[in-house]
Amino acid sequence: MMHEDKFDRGSALTIFKSDRHEDLTALALALVIALLVYLFI
Amino acid sequence: MVYTQRTPWTLVMGIIMVAYAYMVKSGMMEPLIKFLNTGRHAGEMQTLGFTFGALAILVGLWQMLAAPKEGQTDYYLSTVAGLIFIMLIAFVVKWGLDPLMGNWGRAAQPALGFNFASVMNLNYVVMGILAGIIIVNVFKVPGWAQNGVRLSRLGLKTGVILLGTLYSFAELAQLGKLSVVLIGIFVLGSVGLVLWIGARRKLPNSMTGVMSAGIGVCGVSASVAAAPVVQAKSIEIAYTIGTVLLFGVVCMFAFPIIGKALGMGYVQFGAWAGTGILNSAQVAGAALAFQPGGIETLKVAEIFNITRVLFLPIIVLWLALWYVKREVGAHQVDVAHVIVSKFPVFVLGFILMFLLSSTGIFAPARHYQGSYFDNSDKALIKKDRSGKETSNYLKDADVETLKKDADKVKRDDQKAALQRLIENKKVMTEDDDTTLRGIINAKAMSKEGTAVLNKAHRAVRHTAAKIAMFRDLIAWFFTFGLVGLGMQITVASIKQAGGQPLVIGSIVGVIKAVGSLIVVLLMVSETV
Repeated sequence: MMHEDKFDRGSALTIFKSDRHEDLTALALALVIALLVYLFI
Repeated sequence: MVYTQRTPWTLVMGIIMVAYAYMVKSGMMEPLIKFLNTGRHAGEMQTLGFTFGALAILVGLWQMLAAPKEGQTDYYLSTVAGLIFIMLIAFVVKWGLDPLMGNWGRAAQPALGFNFASVMNLNYVVMGILAGIIIVNVFKVPGWAQNGVRLSRLGLKTGVILLGTLYSFAELAQLGKLSVVLIGIFVLGSVGLVLWIGARRKLPNSMTGVMSAGIGVCGVSASVAAAPVVQAKSIEIAYTIGTVLLFGVVCMFAFPIIGKALGMGYVQFGAWAGTGILNSAQVAGAALAFQPGGIETLKVAEIFNITRVLFLPIIVLWLALWYVKREVGAHQVDVAHVIVSKFPVFVLGFILMFLLSSTGIFAPARHYQGSYFDNSDKALIKKDRSGKETSNYLKDADVETLKKDADKVKRDDQKAALQRLIENKKVMTEDDDTTLRGIINAKAMSKEGTAVLNKAHRAVRHTAAKIAMFRDLIAWFFTFGLVGLGMQITVASIKQAGGQPLVIGSIVGVIKAVGSLIVVLLMVSETV
């Protein structure tokens, strides 16, 4: 695994400061993609 | 801390991507595309190549010329180099290695007696993880890419949320009560069993949680969906996927042999394979190995397999509650508060997409993973831009071909479906479509007759463009996430983990296979 001390923000596994933050980003990204697919495909 | 590193590699990767996309567009890559049979990916090779290539060139120039200072711009833009690095590897794996292995597998089939690429499941998902593992252990992830590698979990979570679009309640309504009951018992039972054994053997909760989803529901998707819920480490996900695939390959060979030895019927074997085999790909493999000349077994097995995948949201919810309770000690804290504050929102995203898809906004309500039956005139008769109509009804010559071959069909249901096709020049019902595919699989007709049946089948089966797009996007998010995941797995961490997952996976897998065999033999007759 990558070492924690390489990053002063987030953790070795994520750039986000918390799981909730990462989840909300993923949800926002997915909703934007779904909207684009709905509108343009 | 400044994250951006001055490197020419982002720019170089961008130029490679744009150049490749340009060569595909201009036709220069045609011989390679033909050799690898990747013509269907030509569109995405250009779209993704130009898009990610342009992004890499812009950010690469900024990295070379600017003097980034500590802050948000530096932090987030520094992830682009790693993102492009993973995407470049994903391009090589998906457009190069995956089809190449397919070619080699088919070429070696006569000598080996089996297709090693298919049997060993050497698809882009498995090879993507392997590529990541090889890079981190043999070459080391370059410093400029390390921040971007930390985006892989975001990619997986987005892919899981989008996965919800592929399913709908309409499918659930089509499934028999038996499959729901049988799968319910065995999925929930095996998840519970893994959680119990994991606790007794004092395995970390994250390992036990991800293992239970992988063994209980189905391999890769379930493990990936459950991993963030139980905060599983990369190595734990890799162990689970490895165990599930290994067990699945063994089952794929063993199940048909046992099924034939016990004299099982199509429905019985389909129910058993769909319940007892852990991974979707191998369920289909075992069903086809049991009945190579028809699709009745495959159809039953797939119904059970779909039911199992539909349990995924329930399992993920269960694991989320289980993990939160165990990690914080339920008796000491307000569980409701912890659930609200720690519950993984992306799971709700998956359910939200599932509900949206069920409304029929992405595809007709009766679709299964975007594919649906429609034999109306609107679906069969198309107009081009000039207004000229093209009919997908069978031509008179096609009907004559079918009439010549009609006496080769012996089964009454197949004869009746064929007669209806001849009379109406189109497949009349979804059941007829399935029955006629049975004739194709059994190779009962001449080559010409089979071609006409295939033509009739294609005319009434349609793929929803939106769902097809979602499927492509999901595949890319998963590929990106899994290559990045592989880059977080080192040999040292594998050694630390030990062989517990394989032991537990094998115990529960065997119990599930034997238990479902007994229940199927006792409860399932040849008419579900």
